[in-house]
Amino acid sequence: MEEVIQPFYLEKENRMKNNIIHYCNIKDGSVSVNGKSLYVNTVEKDFLSFIKTVYKQFDLAYPKFYKMDPLCKLSIVAASILLENTGSEIDPNMALVLSNKSSCIDIDRKHQETISQEADSYASPANFVYTLPNIALGEISIKYKLQSENSFFIFEYFNPKFLIDYTNSLIDLGKSNRVLSGWVEVNENNYNAFLFIVEKSDGIELTQKNLIKLK
Amino acid sequence: MDRGVAISGMGIVSAIGMNAKENFEALKKGQHGISEVELVDTILKENILVGEIKKSNQELEQILKLPTPNSFSRSSMLGMIAIKEAFRDAEIQVKDNTSMAFVNSTTVGGMDMVEKFYDSFLTDKKNQHYISVNDAGSNTHLMADYFNIKGFVTTISTACSSAANAIMLGARLIKSGRAEKVVVGGMDGLCKFTLNGFNTLMLQSNGFNKPFDDERVGLNLGEGAAYLILESQSSLQKRDKTPLAYLTGYANANDAYHQTASSEQGEGAFLAMKKAFEVAGIQPEQVDYINAHGTATPNNDLSEGRALLNFFENKIPDFSSTKPFTGHTLAAAASIEAVFSILALRENIIYPNLNFKTKMKEFDLTPQIEIKKKEVNTVLSNSFGFGGNCSSLIFEK
Repeated sequence: MEEVIQPFYLEKENRMKNNIIHYCNIKDGSVSVNGKSLYVNTVEKDFLSFIKTVYKQFDLAYPKFYKMDPLCKLSIVAASILLENTGSEIDPNMALVLSNKSSCIDIDRKHQETISQEADSYASPANFVYTLPNIALGEISIKYKLQSENSFFIFEYFNPKFLIDYTNSLIDLGKSNRVLSGWVEVNENNYNAFLFIVEKSDGIELTQKNLIKLK
Repeated sequence: MDRGVAISGMGIVSAIGMNAKENFEALKKGQHGISEVELVDTILKENILVGEIKKSNQELEQILKLPTPNSFSRSSMLGMIAIKEAFRDAEIQVKDNTSMAFVNSTTVGGMDMVEKFYDSFLTDKKNQHYISVNDAGSNTHLMADYFNIKGFVTTISTACSSAANAIMLGARLIKSGRAEKVVVGGMDGLCKFTLNGFNTLMLQSNGFNKPFDDERVGLNLGEGAAYLILESQSSLQKRDKTPLAYLTGYANANDAYHQTASSEQGEGAFLAMKKAFEVAGIQPEQVDYINAHGTATPNNDLSEGRALLNFFENKIPDFSSTKPFTGHTLAAAASIEAVFSILALRENIIYPNLNFKTKMKEFDLTPQIEIKKKEVNTVLSNSFGFGGNCSSLIFEK
């Protein structure tokens, strides 16, 4: 029998879809993984106090946490909980595609305050090094030794279409087999982290509707 | 045969010359451009040496015949002089540029002007127009307007690997058919912000920088700009133009080690080189010359040295850092060194690593210390940025 070579577009149709295999939410004083609530603390309204209790609760034992700016704190905690509570192996080629609305505004404000003081004003290196949102990607990469593709995007609103397109493109072009994507937003005491892992295996279908629902 | 992406023109300004010819002559004669600071009003004058272009902003305005007042920063003016040369070299007229893309890179942007007038902005209206060009991207767009570039325009700022990443993005625009011609490169003028920042990090040498030397103590900052014109095969055929060389390999990798330092084992550097060779589809032993990043900081040279030894399995081709000539020009470094790499290919010459005396004690590694004539068909050029943003480019005849 002659071998049938399928046209490219058919082959594409038949490929297993990129699905959401795990996800994690940190919002309104609660932490959940794959929809299951793992920790609730509605007493601490202050973000920094709250995230410290989460860090301690989950025994993250990563002292660099204390030096980080609020965005990195939220990102590293959310990523750690997601990666360490789902039993998934760390793929060193896992890509990171994060987004938010307020960039790293809290540390920017702090940096602005230190350089605006009239007398003896100088930039504090401890603050200055965190005044870029993509440092959050760096912190996750450093903790999990990810020497992979990464990007941080700023949108006015959660943009599931963009994250889906970018994630699919990374996987379909063979840049990564797995992508950690999502939204990590913190502005003073308003915070919301929604991270999800996508790969070609069984899971929740990667659609805009599903991402909006899970967030 | 896929020969990579063609380079049809190049232009450069640095502390060793205002065009490619002057730069090449200085490289051949071993004449460096490192000196005391003359043009930047800095308290560090006594403490540092720099690769400064001895032309005031007024002189740069005259070279470009710019009307005054204008909002061009020093970095932009250096960039525009280099782009003009690249257009001349590629035989491109300004009116041809409507579909051209422009991928620029800078770390300084318009900070040099803003720091000069910062204290008077509230009281003196006449310099307020510089506020709008503080941002790196606004400089790029002003330059695009000046050259009538109407295609895709963007700016990359990834510290010392910026221009390599700009060259890489340009190559991908050509390869994916999104552009026929792209101007790619980087520019950075010296300014107080940069000098003070590197001073705080304690990375500057008070003497001449000595890459890969055991007694290296730090870098000399430099200023300059360099640009390449990348062009598709069909565009070259249409206008019957022979390219200068080809960019065949490129890659960027993430070190995942530290916010500012490079990893001691040079993992990011190793990965960048590995991926660049995969893209080029050639073997490491085909390399005739490596233009190293070689900043002469203790951290970079140790990390890069280890990466080279690991990657080339202890059989490292001739290599040198040209930063003793130009200083470290940050966002312009990778494009300046791309021009040097192309000149090496065209002139069959490799450059000396000035100021080297003693091998580093960590390993057995001696750079090329004399100028050398040899057949050069393939050059690897490395550029590693803060935070382990590592890029490698491969150029071939």
